[in-house]
Amino acid sequence: MTIEVNRISYGINNFSILRDVSLEIKGGEILSIIGPNGSGKSTLMKVLAGDIIPDSGSVIINGKNLNDIEISSRAIVRSMMSQTQNIVYDFDVREIIEMGWLESSIDQANGHFENTIKLISNECGIDHLLKRKFNSLSGGEQRMVHFARTLLQSNGLQKNLQKYIFFDEPTANLDIKRELNILNVIRKKAKEGYGIFVVLHDLNLAYNFSDRIILIKDGKISKMGDPNDVFDDEILSEVYEVPVYFDKDIGRIKYY
Amino acid sequence: MKYVNSYQMFIVYSSILILLVVLGLALSFGSYKVTFIDYLYSDMSKVQESVFTKIRFPRVLLSAFVGASLATSGACLQGLFRNPLADPGLIGVSAGAALGATSFIVLGSNFIQGSVTNPYLLPLSSICGSAFVISALFFITRGFGKEGITYLLLAGIAVNAFSGVGIGILTYISDDSELRGLTFWTMGSFGGATISMIGPALLFIIFSFIWIIKEARKLDILQLGESEAYRLGIDIKKLRFSVIVSSAIIVGISVSLSGMIGFVGLVVPHLARILGGVNHSFLLPSSALMGAILMVLADLFARTMIKPAELPVGLITSAIGSPFFLWLIFRIRKS
Repeated sequence: MTIEVNRISYGINNFSILRDVSLEIKGGEILSIIGPNGSGKSTLMKVLAGDIIPDSGSVIINGKNLNDIEISSRAIVRSMMSQTQNIVYDFDVREIIEMGWLESSIDQANGHFENTIKLISNECGIDHLLKRKFNSLSGGEQRMVHFARTLLQSNGLQKNLQKYIFFDEPTANLDIKRELNILNVIRKKAKEGYGIFVVLHDLNLAYNFSDRIILIKDGKISKMGDPNDVFDDEILSEVYEVPVYFDKDIGRIKYY
Repeated sequence: MKYVNSYQMFIVYSSILILLVVLGLALSFGSYKVTFIDYLYSDMSKVQESVFTKIRFPRVLLSAFVGASLATSGACLQGLFRNPLADPGLIGVSAGAALGATSFIVLGSNFIQGSVTNPYLLPLSSICGSAFVISALFFITRGFGKEGITYLLLAGIAVNAFSGVGIGILTYISDDSELRGLTFWTMGSFGGATISMIGPALLFIIFSFIWIIKEARKLDILQLGESEAYRLGIDIKKLRFSVIVSSAIIVGISVSLSGMIGFVGLVVPHLARILGGVNHSFLLPSSALMGAILMVLADLFARTMIKPAELPVGLITSAIGSPFFLWLIFRIRKS
């Protein structure tokens, strides 16, 4: 059971954003994608989520073509955390998290719902914020709330289904405590068997955090595989167009 | 109601209670002396009975439904556009409905006798008018992001002006009998409502209410943004269609029966949000109830203030609504 991306190409007005991209996302594994600005990382994620229909190629989720999966079933098999827009009305934090609850009813009777909300908000360190208004939170806190909502979405009852979670730069603009918090939870999710696909900007983070890495430039995959194979001075320097030096001993890159 | 908490349920039940009291009051006061109590318990003269059942009762019923309609459609449009200033009057949806109704009265009279009292085709043409405006506004304001709030209102000015031009031209080209029909309709208000005229319309309004309240949860999730809502399993196109069509039905019918009444769709949903919360499972029913309360009271006021003459009810709602609108703009600027 995997997500299989076969030879995806996508462009707008004759400008190609993705060229012949193929990859595979497996359960229990963290797959990161890195690359310069405008290289097509977020677009690729949108194609995987089904936001965008590619010009050619296919996305096969657990053996089924994405186009043939109903919108409501897509939400069960994959959840996604992206850069979100502001919310106009004054929802409580708890209400925002609850939006990730996909079961058609909230079954408060058996306590399962309450427990899940408690567990997840605790995991994300936002249990003290549940009664606050979402719009009164700081940017970082709001991000943690969306993170919790994404986790709740992936937490549905279909135990035998291979599920996937996508994250678009989940740790951008977060303090280091929250960054570690998010990374640890994502790790844990991978251990539980979820297939994880992450867009990352921070190269050091990508190296230390991923099981496999895709390096993409101008919509084309330059290198894909084990972090140690991708993090090669020559390849990185060429893709990012600045001299990059990678220190294998401490797992850090240097570029200034 | 799974997504409504107990405090919100309390507000909904209280609103139902208040609405019943207000309906009783509205049925008991007017230019002619006959009360609700008379109707239930004492012998009435023929005149009293006919005033009560043929004039006052349909009028009060219609005002309640129109109030509920305008408030609910305001709440729906505010949800769909993710814009707190969306009011069917301000953004031109009512004007579109009015243009639809006017077109039918003037152009339709060539084909159908008595177009101004046709209980099906007149509302239907209004519905087409408002549906067209909502869809057009939706596509015009798409992609403006946060600035959409302003652009929606600007587009509303244009739509209102355009409808004004259309209605003006139609008035100009209409012949004597069409003009009489048009004037009769423009004066609108809730007077002159009869059960046979409003009956079918009210059924359609009830049907739309049920339809839209079923979408309440989806409207909540839509507040995260369209792509987020899609990723949470919501078929955005279907939702958009439901909201546009049902809002168009309730606004179109209201306008076709009672003319343009402003600000109810703006004031009431905000009141409901302040009182109980922003989730649509609560917001839509409570807006409907509070809209009905407000409109029945406004109409009661309009017809008893200077009886036996009466004030246009739109005057009263605008008197309440316009300062509220200014306050709202002020509040948005602060946040």
